[in-house]
Amino acid sequence: MIAPAIAPQGRRWGTINLGGALLTALTLICACVWFFPIYWALVTSFRTDDESIKSFSLLPEHPTLDSYLYIIAHSKLPIFYLNSTIVSLAVTAITLVMSICAAYAISQLEFPGRRLLWWTILASFMIPVPALIVNHFIIIASVNLINTYAGIVLPLLIAPVTVIVYKQFFDSLPREFREAAVMDGANEFQLLFRVFLPMNWGITAALGIITFIGAWNNFLWPFLAAQDETMMTVTVGIRAVQDTFGVAYARLLAGAVLAGLPVSLAYLLFQRRVTQALTLSAGIKG
Amino acid sequence: MTEEAAKNGVERAPHVELRRVTKRYGVVAAINDLDLAVEKGSFTALLGPSGCGKSTLLRMIAGLERITAGQCFINGVDVTEMPPAKRRIAMVFQSYALYPHMTVKQNIAFSLSVAGAPRKTQDERALEVARVLQLEPYLDRRPAELSGGQRQRVAIGRALVRQPEAFLFDEPLSNLDAKLRVQMRLELARLHAALGVTMIYVTHDQTEAMTLADKIVVLDRGRVAQVGSPLELYRQPANKFVAGFIGSPSMNFISVSLATVEGNTATVKLPGGGTAQVGVGSAPAGAAERIDLGVRPEHLLLVDANDASAAQSGRISIVEHLGNVTLLYVDTAAGQMIVEAPGSTPVKSGDVVGLRLNESNVRLFGADGATL
Repeated sequence: MIAPAIAPQGRRWGTINLGGALLTALTLICACVWFFPIYWALVTSFRTDDESIKSFSLLPEHPTLDSYLYIIAHSKLPIFYLNSTIVSLAVTAITLVMSICAAYAISQLEFPGRRLLWWTILASFMIPVPALIVNHFIIIASVNLINTYAGIVLPLLIAPVTVIVYKQFFDSLPREFREAAVMDGANEFQLLFRVFLPMNWGITAALGIITFIGAWNNFLWPFLAAQDETMMTVTVGIRAVQDTFGVAYARLLAGAVLAGLPVSLAYLLFQRRVTQALTLSAGIKG
Repeated sequence: MTEEAAKNGVERAPHVELRRVTKRYGVVAAINDLDLAVEKGSFTALLGPSGCGKSTLLRMIAGLERITAGQCFINGVDVTEMPPAKRRIAMVFQSYALYPHMTVKQNIAFSLSVAGAPRKTQDERALEVARVLQLEPYLDRRPAELSGGQRQRVAIGRALVRQPEAFLFDEPLSNLDAKLRVQMRLELARLHAALGVTMIYVTHDQTEAMTLADKIVVLDRGRVAQVGSPLELYRQPANKFVAGFIGSPSMNFISVSLATVEGNTATVKLPGGGTAQVGVGSAPAGAAERIDLGVRPEHLLLVDANDASAAQSGRISIVEHLGNVTLLYVDTAAGQMIVEAPGSTPVKSGDVVGLRLNESNVRLFGADGATL
């Protein structure tokens, strides 16, 4: 009885699974193809300007931090970072609070127009944000919010996916939790913030991280709304660096590395949460 | 509190009362024009099969379900439109509904916490309740780290801490295994004896209702089929539904025809030609009326198949040895009948036996199901 149970394990380690090996090799090749531009950008940022044009070696011949030092010394990168941080944190916080409240109301409360509101949110999901960008610009400009944090943040708050994920979560909670809390005398705010949300902070953490990363990486709207250099976010400011330095690849890519650094760190630190968030919204994005 | 109430003469006044209550979901009536009075300090069980409306009734008392028509009173106050938290009642749910992210202490003290009670009061009261329910060692654990019985006790503790007027239990033991259920049943009985508060307990398990309650309300399709003490329901069922629902194994029913009625004794013709004399309270309307005779398994005596006193005879199809008793499934001319015989009865499947009725314990039910 024992022998056959052990044998397959031995064979698994002893022989090569051809299909598995091929799949692994293919995956590795794809990963290399995906990673090479990132690697090239990183390596180039440590080259001299001259070397960045002429050399095709995989490692820098004379590694230097000149490009980084030059950008830090001659650009407004710290201000760009600050702007990106303010904008991303504001977008994350406001989006989460709004989505939580909207999803809770739609999922748990009875009020006229609830179904219509839900269908409107679902319908808004079908409209790509870039299609609305001109309208956004006209509205924001008409209320004199161009070149302000409010002007940059407001149009970035449209997040139907976050509402949908939260609603699914609230829908999935057994009715007894609500009833028990109601019997205990909890009001709607206590129910939401003391009972429902703490039951799974993972969802909030995951959606918070993914919203933050999305806001940090956003380019199109901040590019239109932040015309003054002091209001630019990192992604927009890097473009200004390109304009200033012309075709200086090492500096340009050093800027790109600096712009992507916080997001990369966030990915590394919160890998599991980011994956969870992507899984949560994957079913919705279909 | 009980003594004080007795002194004031309100001991026997209904503590929880439903007057002509109806609950409709669309056109379907889950509860139909129902009256119910629960005395202060009593343990009342709402018993009935699935879908009879017992949980709906409990939820209406709790305020979790709106009453379509009628009124609900708690302690003489009309609470029909009052929100659940203000009714001063507590409920223990079937799934316990313990907040998974809170510790036992936080779960127990939650109602105090949302009411803004000082932290010291919350801690003291939670500890007091934990002591009563022997939960002290688990105060800092989360529900996931507790056994089924401990979770059940936490759920009770959460209700207890509010010092409610009445406790409502919605099938609280149905998620426990058989052994733990018996243990928790005893603990609930002990708790009721110690606290002396009104408890209303929903169950579909007649054993729970019979062992815990001092009054059982049997519900059938949204109506009260009978209200009484466990033994009243068992011995004097008001109708065929109650007779069949109470008792395990359930009562045997034989379709008979009425021969004669003299005073309080009716003579009925049994299938197969025999007769039986049964005491009746009310005379049936027509002499030839088709009626049902009900006899409990323990009121059927095994005799020889040829015995003149045998009301029915038949072949044993299944024998179930339960140790203290043996259940026999006997195929007779009147259909299959269950007999409860002593545990050591030497019988086997295929044996042909006679069944004698213990006529003093037999009931007759009219065509409308009411006991005659």
